[in-house]
Amino acid sequence: MKPNDPLPPEDELRHHTYDGIQEYDKRLPNWWLLTFYGTIVFAIFYWLVTQHFPSSTDASRLQAEMARIDAAKMASSTAALDDATLWKMSRNAVVLEAGKATYKATCASCHNEALTGGIGPNLIDKIWIHGGRPTEVLAVVTNGVLAKGMPSWGPVLGAQKVSEVAAYIMSFQELPK
Amino acid sequence: MSERKITLEYNDKVIRQFMLAAIIWGVVGMLVGMLVASQLNYWRLNFNLPWLTFGRLRPLHTNAVIFAFVGNMMFAGVYYSTQRLVKARLASNFLSTLHFWGWQLIIVGAAITLPLGFSRGKEYAELIWPIDIAVAFIWVVFAVNFFWTLARRHERSLYVAIWFYIATIITVALLYIVNHLSIPTSLLHSYPMFGGVQDALVEWWYGHNAVAFFLTTPILGIMYYFLPKAAERPVYSYRLSVIHFWSLVFVYIWAGPHHLLNTALPSWLQSLGVIFSLMLWAPSWGGMLNGLFTLRSAWDKLRTDPVLKFFGAAVTFYGMATFEGPLLSIKSVNALAHYSDWIIAHVHGGALGWNGFMAAGMFYWLAPRLWNRPLHSQALANLHFWLGTAGILIYVSALWTAGITQGFMLNATTDNGTVLAYPNFLETLTTIRPMMLFRVVGGGLYFVGWLLLVYNIYRTIRGAQAVNGTIEVFITDDDKDADERLGLGGAFFSPPVVFAVVGTLCACSWLFGGDLLKLAGLFGTITAVILAWVHFEACKNKWGDWYDRLLVNVMPFTVLTFIAVAVGGLIQIIPTVIVNRAENVEDRRQTPYTPLELAGRDLYVSEGCYNCHSQMIRTLVPDVLRYGDYSRLGESIYDHPFQWGSRRIGPDLAREGSKYPNIWHYRHMEDPRSVSAGSNMPNYPWLLTDKTDVADLPAKLAVQRMLGVPYPQWTEAQIVENVAQQENAIVADLRTAGADAAPDHQIIAIIAYLQKLGKFEPVPAITTTAR
Repeated sequence: MKPNDPLPPEDELRHHTYDGIQEYDKRLPNWWLLTFYGTIVFAIFYWLVTQHFPSSTDASRLQAEMARIDAAKMASSTAALDDATLWKMSRNAVVLEAGKATYKATCASCHNEALTGGIGPNLIDKIWIHGGRPTEVLAVVTNGVLAKGMPSWGPVLGAQKVSEVAAYIMSFQELPK
Repeated sequence: MSERKITLEYNDKVIRQFMLAAIIWGVVGMLVGMLVASQLNYWRLNFNLPWLTFGRLRPLHTNAVIFAFVGNMMFAGVYYSTQRLVKARLASNFLSTLHFWGWQLIIVGAAITLPLGFSRGKEYAELIWPIDIAVAFIWVVFAVNFFWTLARRHERSLYVAIWFYIATIITVALLYIVNHLSIPTSLLHSYPMFGGVQDALVEWWYGHNAVAFFLTTPILGIMYYFLPKAAERPVYSYRLSVIHFWSLVFVYIWAGPHHLLNTALPSWLQSLGVIFSLMLWAPSWGGMLNGLFTLRSAWDKLRTDPVLKFFGAAVTFYGMATFEGPLLSIKSVNALAHYSDWIIAHVHGGALGWNGFMAAGMFYWLAPRLWNRPLHSQALANLHFWLGTAGILIYVSALWTAGITQGFMLNATTDNGTVLAYPNFLETLTTIRPMMLFRVVGGGLYFVGWLLLVYNIYRTIRGAQAVNGTIEVFITDDDKDADERLGLGGAFFSPPVVFAVVGTLCACSWLFGGDLLKLAGLFGTITAVILAWVHFEACKNKWGDWYDRLLVNVMPFTVLTFIAVAVGGLIQIIPTVIVNRAENVEDRRQTPYTPLELAGRDLYVSEGCYNCHSQMIRTLVPDVLRYGDYSRLGESIYDHPFQWGSRRIGPDLAREGSKYPNIWHYRHMEDPRSVSAGSNMPNYPWLLTDKTDVADLPAKLAVQRMLGVPYPQWTEAQIVENVAQQENAIVADLRTAGADAAPDHQIIAIIAYLQKLGKFEPVPAITTTAR
């Protein structure tokens, strides 16, 4: 300590020094105390709300929300796509562009970018394991073939993207006479 | 009465050793960090070599920075300041030397075993059991040396730095031992005693408090010594030291569950994690305030003195990180930030800003004093400071942006909230790639700064004469302590302790009691607080005098500190461990692994897959939309160790089983990009050529049975037969899909394990409440 350092008069140093280190004993800042007390009060309320009077649990909230989502999905899928609509979509450039993008990101890893197959079967030939009508292809993409390792993409991609992918696949097939 | 003067020479040799070791291990730790950070952008940097893959090197990075860099720095700082604060030479030269060389040997052991894939699979607790025992042993050596030195002290009263060192030594011992309880299956492998949710809780009680008591409390002690020394100013407030020390050590230990928010962890534990993290904010800031306000009348020195620059910035970064921590512990914030790069930004604010800058400031201050020669270049030290600061800011802002961006993308939905907006995980990873590059740039700047320190210190000490500090102390033969001795009775039956114990007991019965006890507890807590306040106002001096007396009594002080830190852990862990775990499963129980699946799981652990993949689908809509039904407690009860993970660099794997055909996994392990374009996962070609270790399986199954996993009493032949059957089925399936694999290759075991993930048997609801 240099003696000419200006110090507020109320400051008193504690008499004990440790290896030359001295200590003031200033009062705690009010804002700091308020922060401390505030978090304690919040903790009490938080505990009361989450533990003593819980209106729901994480799981029950999640289940309610998932029920809403499932209902919404079912409602939107009642307007089922028929073969004719899907064939029409399969010749629509906007649909195909979107379908191609989803295909590349999601399907190409197993079915190859050229649809010639790999881990999953070929999609460009005339052989259909689960039926070759557009609605049948759509059903496979939507629900998957779990036993053979084809995931169900409906829940992940949503109705629109799934139908676009199905349309994209059908775009490589000839239109029915 | 007789009094004589003696001159003591401090043991500064061991300080110099620890300091130089910290500097060198700092280079190593940061270098590995730069490599693993670059691997995230350039998968080729994994070099197709097992011992250079991200999954094995990331634990090496974290262990090197925590235990090698900060560990050695801490020992240097603790030993240097303690000798001077208590006016005594370190008690034993032998123990000091053993401590130093033992610790370096442990680090070398870790640096060899981790890249070779010997791992316990728990974060920051990866080291295999023989090394764990060595760590515990050397820690005891440290403790004995430290307390023995205190016993021989000539300064009777303990300064605040020593309080923090005491808390560090006893708490790290407690945490380390409990989290490393394991049963060996061989010389190099063991299974943790706890499994599933118990293991998760113990791990994050340890992991969180390793941050608290390895990276925070010892460094706070170091700050309390070196900062006022360097600033030549008195510490701001003694009473703030008292309040923030006790509140910090008591509150910190409870906050571990905030690493497991929105998971299957029982609700009461999650709530405790949230509220104690928030209550930790002010106690943490108490340390920052005492540091910053001590600099208050020395601002002008900050312009010229690099040491004070480092200390001032370090304390500021400490304040930032300890504000961010409570923020991240709010469940809704955590839903976005958990598993993302935001957490990585948070810890590096602490590691680079707080630990790294405290280390740099301390070394620049120590070098001239330990080698009796002025620092080679103040200008270089200043440059180091600015490079480091710029590096940290670039690093954390890049990862804040990355974490928040990826978090929002992963959580985004379309079609009225029914469908994920970015169903392909890789799309979110590709988006943050540029940010991951910036973090390497930031880390690089910080590393260059550290190299400047290496050069600067080297030039300072090259050819210099090492000097040891000395002090003259007066020795009296009569027993001056007698009037100030407290004993355990005097320590416990004092107003502050009695009020604190009664208040805590009442608060606990309010938190956990039945209806009547709950009310009584709440009433009792309020009464205890009011009585304590009235008593304190009435007899302030008594409280102060008692504390002054406590400070000359090492043993009672240590015991009280131990109790303060032990309470939180006991209350959280004991109910979770003694609960009947077959019943505490929610509605599902995991199907135990077959022997081959267990072998595959051991490979998963050994390769460090948990560093990038979680196995925990949280109770959050985006998680469920992306990965399937949320994870239940029972779905990991037989997992020793648990693999819930902490960061999703890749997608969650909790329900990976049966999602893809075997051939998908085969191709994916061989070359992830062949099936996932744009993936940054390393290739694992050796899994296709190396053999599965089947010989160890009988020993492993025996240990699993001992731990309560319901395996039948199979003979060795039965195990071999069981393994062969499952292997052949997978090989046959792969062959029809066009891949030729030998049944005894590791790829078969790992496929078996991955296809098992998420398999459970339903359990009729018996008790679903955890309490």
